[in-house]
Order: sequence, then C-alpha cells, then structure tokens
Amino acid sequence: MTSRLFTLCVAALATLSGLQATAAQTEKRDPDTGAVTWETRAHGVTLSLTQILPNQARAFYLNRGFPAEAVEPYATACVYMTVLRNDAAPGELSFRLTNWSVQNAGQERPPNAVEDWMMRWRALGLAEAAQIAFRWAQFPPEQEYAVGEWNQGMLATGLAPGSRFDLTARWTVAGKTFEGKLENVVCAR
Amino acid sequence: MSFARVETGMKHGLSALLLYCMAGFSSVAADLPPLTHGLTPIAEPQPAPALILADMDGKMHDLADLKGKVVVVNFWATWCPPCRREMPSLERLKQQLQSRGLAMLAVDVGEDADTVFAFTGQLEPAPTFPLLLDRDSRAMQRWKVKGLPTTFVIDQQGRVIFRAIGGREFDNPAMIAALLAQTPRN
Repeated sequence: MTSRLFTLCVAALATLSGLQATAAQTEKRDPDTGAVTWETRAHGVTLSLTQILPNQARAFYLNRGFPAEAVEPYATACVYMTVLRNDAAPGELSFRLTNWSVQNAGQERPPNAVEDWMMRWRALGLAEAAQIAFRWAQFPPEQEYAVGEWNQGMLATGLAPGSRFDLTARWTVAGKTFEGKLENVVCAR
Repeated sequence: MSFARVETGMKHGLSALLLYCMAGFSSVAADLPPLTHGLTPIAEPQPAPALILADMDGKMHDLADLKGKVVVVNFWATWCPPCRREMPSLERLKQQLQSRGLAMLAVDVGEDADTVFAFTGQLEPAPTFPLLLDRDSRAMQRWKVKGLPTTFVIDQQGRVIFRAIGGREFDNPAMIAALLAQTPRN
C-alpha cells in the first residue's frame, strides 16, 4: 500500500514537473484574416508561429519594391510570423536557426536560410532598400535573449502550401541545450 | 518640423493610410505578443560605437555631442510591428525624463524620410526626439543589431550600459526606475 502510494506520488510529481517544463500547445484562428497561430512554452521560453497568408506576403514585399515575379517564391514558401521570447529561462539563451528542424513527410531540415534568399535578391539586382527591408523583416538567423528579450520576424519553412509539419526550436543556456516543439502546424494556402 | 514638411501633410496623410494597409499583416495574430519591461545590464560596459546620421530634415546628429547625458538609442523600422507599438512609449519616456538629462535618438533602418514621416505623423504622442535615417543599414550593423527593435542605453561617459532586444513599454515604472538610477538629480 505504501509503495503504491509512493509510486503514485512520484508519477504525480513527474507529471507536474513535465507540465512546468512544457506547456500544452495552443492554436488560435484570427477571426478577421483566418490566419492560425500555434504557440507553446518550454523551459521558460515562448515559441509561436502565425501563418502569413501568401497574399499578405505579396502585399508586404510588393510595397517595398519587389517585382511580382521575385516575391512569388517567397510568398508561397510557407511563411510564419515567428516569435521566440525568453520569459523565464534559467539564464541568457542563444540560438541559431541552422539548429532548428522542420519535420515533414519523414524528412527533417532547418527552415530556409535568410542568406539563401539574400543571394537570390542580389542576383536579381533588387534595390538596396528592398533588400534591407527583406533582411531585417526576417526572424534573426542567430540571436541571444536575456530574460524579457524577444524578437518577432518572418520565417520561411520552404514547404508547399497546405503542408503539415512539426517545428523543433533549439537553444542553449549556459552550454545546455533545450528545445520546444510545435506539432501539426499547417502551411497557409 | 520644417514648413515644407507640414505643407506636404496631405500627401503624407494618404501615404499613412497606405502604410497602415501595408502593415496590416502585422495584426495577423488574434493576440499580439506582449511588450516587455526589462533592460538587460551589459556586464562589461564598452564605449558606444559611432553614430553620426542625418534626421528627416537633413540635420546631422552625432551621439558624441550628447556625452554627459544618458541617451536611449532605438533601432527600428516602420514595417516592424513591435517597433510601431513601442514608439509612443518612447516619447512618453522622453517627456518624463528629459528634465533629468535623458536624451533619445531613434534610428530608422533602410527607409526614406517620407515613409518615416507618414508613420510617425499618425502617432499619439508623436515623437519629438530626432528620427535618424540609416538608409544603408551600416550604422545598425556597426552596433551589431541582429533584430528589430533593439534599444541601447548609453551612460554619461558614453558607454553602453543596457540593451533591450524586442519591443518594450518604455514608460513602464520598472524601466523608468532603472533609467532614473542613471540620471542622478544635480
């Protein structure tokens, strides 16, 4: 009886500590735009992805000097407004997007690299102002956040519209690696 | 604000409307991420990088001329959603602490004066601090900014003592208290 009670207590504590490390994933749809936001909190860090609809991406970059044919590959590359925020991690975190992974159809790879897009824009000879707007509108390829620090920026997974995927974000605090995962995220059409 | 700039207000009003529509994607989320309230102390303060840029009227500003004051340097752009949200709180902070020797410089990255004016003209309160134009983003890179907005606080000796990555509510009491501690009453 005592050992059974002990086992129950251990299981309850394990469940509680697990809840503390990773909160349940939430999903909300914006009633005006239809865009969906997926959010989770893991190890004191909030991660969220909000769909940027292809027409929203087109409008944003067309208004910043991108030719229509240039913007199309990006607008249809499954783009998200991405937020990562250090709410209460055990110290300053650092991350590189090359360590994040997009899992889809049995394959795993990092999100599209910002530098790859920039090489494309340079090859097309886009105006400097357009290139600067693109570069700094993207979620940072690498960054450090103390508690309370965060960024919001665009992140392209490179998947086709309508695709489903999981995203694992990884960061380190004092040399220790942590991760947060969003599951069954859907690319806007 | 120069007379010529006020005279073109109608044109800018239309631009502001367009800008608002263009920035519509910024509200794709039902709930916007909260602006935070902290300043991150720099463990070993170093002299601030050079910052010499023209404002929207072409007047040059040099951070070095503000030595002896505590200076808030904010890097931003009109298309950056948290930058847009935090801008009114920068002005409120300035109004509260300018009598204590606080100065403020906002550095817009990659945009022209008309674009910046179209946005700031619709703010309440509108910024009264210099809005500098970093058209080629070189100043931003010199300051090693990795994402917008990023804000630095420079002490009276010209050293970077705080940073804030991401949007802030600058007139939050916690932030005002941190800055007041750097601007002792004479």
